[in-house]
Amino acid sequence: MSMLRLYHWEPNANSGKPMLALAEKGVEYESHYLDLLKFDQHQPEYLKINPDGTIPAMVHGDRVLTESTPMMQYVDEEFDGPPLQPVSPAERWRMRWWMRFFDAYFGPSLSMIGWSVFVGPAARQRDPAELRAAIDRIPLEARRIAWRKALFNEFSEAELAESRRRVVWATGILESHLATHEWIAGGTFSLGDINGFNLGYALPLSQPAVCNDEKTPHIMEWLRRIYERPATRQTWARGRTQLASRAALLERRRPSGDT
Amino acid sequence: MLELYHWEPNGVFLKPLIALEEKAAAFESHWFDPTTFEQLAASFPASTESRLTLEREGPILVADGTVIAGTSFMLEYIAEAVPGPSLAPRSPWDRYRARAWAQFLGLSLGATTSALGCARYLTPMLEERDPVALRAQIDRIEPLERRAAWLAVVDARQDEAALRQRLAMPIGRLEAALAQHAWLAGDQYSIADIDAYALVDPLRDLAPDIVNVTQTPRLVEWLGHIAERPAVRAARARSRSSAPERAFVPGIEPARWG
Repeated sequence: MSMLRLYHWEPNANSGKPMLALAEKGVEYESHYLDLLKFDQHQPEYLKINPDGTIPAMVHGDRVLTESTPMMQYVDEEFDGPPLQPVSPAERWRMRWWMRFFDAYFGPSLSMIGWSVFVGPAARQRDPAELRAAIDRIPLEARRIAWRKALFNEFSEAELAESRRRVVWATGILESHLATHEWIAGGTFSLGDINGFNLGYALPLSQPAVCNDEKTPHIMEWLRRIYERPATRQTWARGRTQLASRAALLERRRPSGDT
Repeated sequence: MLELYHWEPNGVFLKPLIALEEKAAAFESHWFDPTTFEQLAASFPASTESRLTLEREGPILVADGTVIAGTSFMLEYIAEAVPGPSLAPRSPWDRYRARAWAQFLGLSLGATTSALGCARYLTPMLEERDPVALRAQIDRIEPLERRAAWLAVVDARQDEAALRQRLAMPIGRLEAALAQHAWLAGDQYSIADIDAYALVDPLRDLAPDIVNVTQTPRLVEWLGHIAERPAVRAARARSRSSAPERAFVPGIEPARWG
């Protein structure tokens, strides 16, 4: 089992999950950057690796891994390095439950908003005929629908309003959880925090009225603690776009008078 | 000390029953009827996670004071924390495959199987009830998504044709995987098989045009092997009705986009 390759976009959302887990673990890998906005993930060379055309994908020897949360668990269990999952089965259950909540509830609502304000407008800079051809090449029907909606701004106001409602509500749930738990799983930094950071590092910027020092102090402190970890610095430094640079807002301000 | 709050041995309720029987674990069984909303009573065990679980209605495992919800993760908990025969896939790669299957099937079949079952059995059952009283019970449900899932069943707003179309991909992938391997994660029966079995088995009744010996021979053979296991028979024997295969309540919502 030799070569480890990771196909990823920015240190953000699903791509950032295995990137940060690998960095925390101290595992070297061959990085293959795919530009999501140029549809690199739907090109024939990549579809040979992941026929579903989703990113990230990890190739370890003859194994191909395409689900980002189980991929992080594989990274933790397959390689040497600091453990990234709690020892207690109850904490491991809590970590897994919250990762599913991030992946299947909070994340999709947040990304619908993100796609409508960032991915869609960025990709619309391109030739419409080229865009339509690119969408037709997407293998999974659900992904085709998602891209079409994002690129041609077809999200209904009702859909976006529901996503905004869910983001506000889920942010409150997360704040309550972090008020009584130091980390997502409990007393131990884990993959749950890596997952949550990828989802939430830009919340204070994208949802300033919802996530800020007054309303969600525990989320802010939790994000800052994760941002200060060397692995997070190192991973976010690999970003090539304005997305990753948003993490800088988590720098702690020096107290006034300290020079 | 393990306590399992469960309904009839069907769908997501079947999963922990099978796993605990496989482990030959001592547990206290609390049977409840989610169609009468016993799970919302103040005395029912609850945690943030059980109230918000994306599976909506399902079993609750209380283990040393922790209130565990979410059946795929409940299976992992039982595999790791309860003594007895091994149910966890053995290697990191096998565990990856188990988790990838549980995630994929939980979000696809988890939504479709329960919606088809509710349309067939739960909607007609609720139509027999006093509509005003029922509506009042549902209006008290939090969070909103959980309430909306019940309203969709009461109002019979399920598009069965669209639901059936969603079965093709997951069932096709399962059939292809079982043509390669006898079990879903590794060379042994594991929680991956228990997890998938509970979501697929009801489709022999709900979608016999899609899951049958002609179109999905490997899948039907695999269902048969699991059904014969003593632990699965013991789990099924905990039924209090004559027809556990009709016991459905709202499950996870279908993906809202992409």
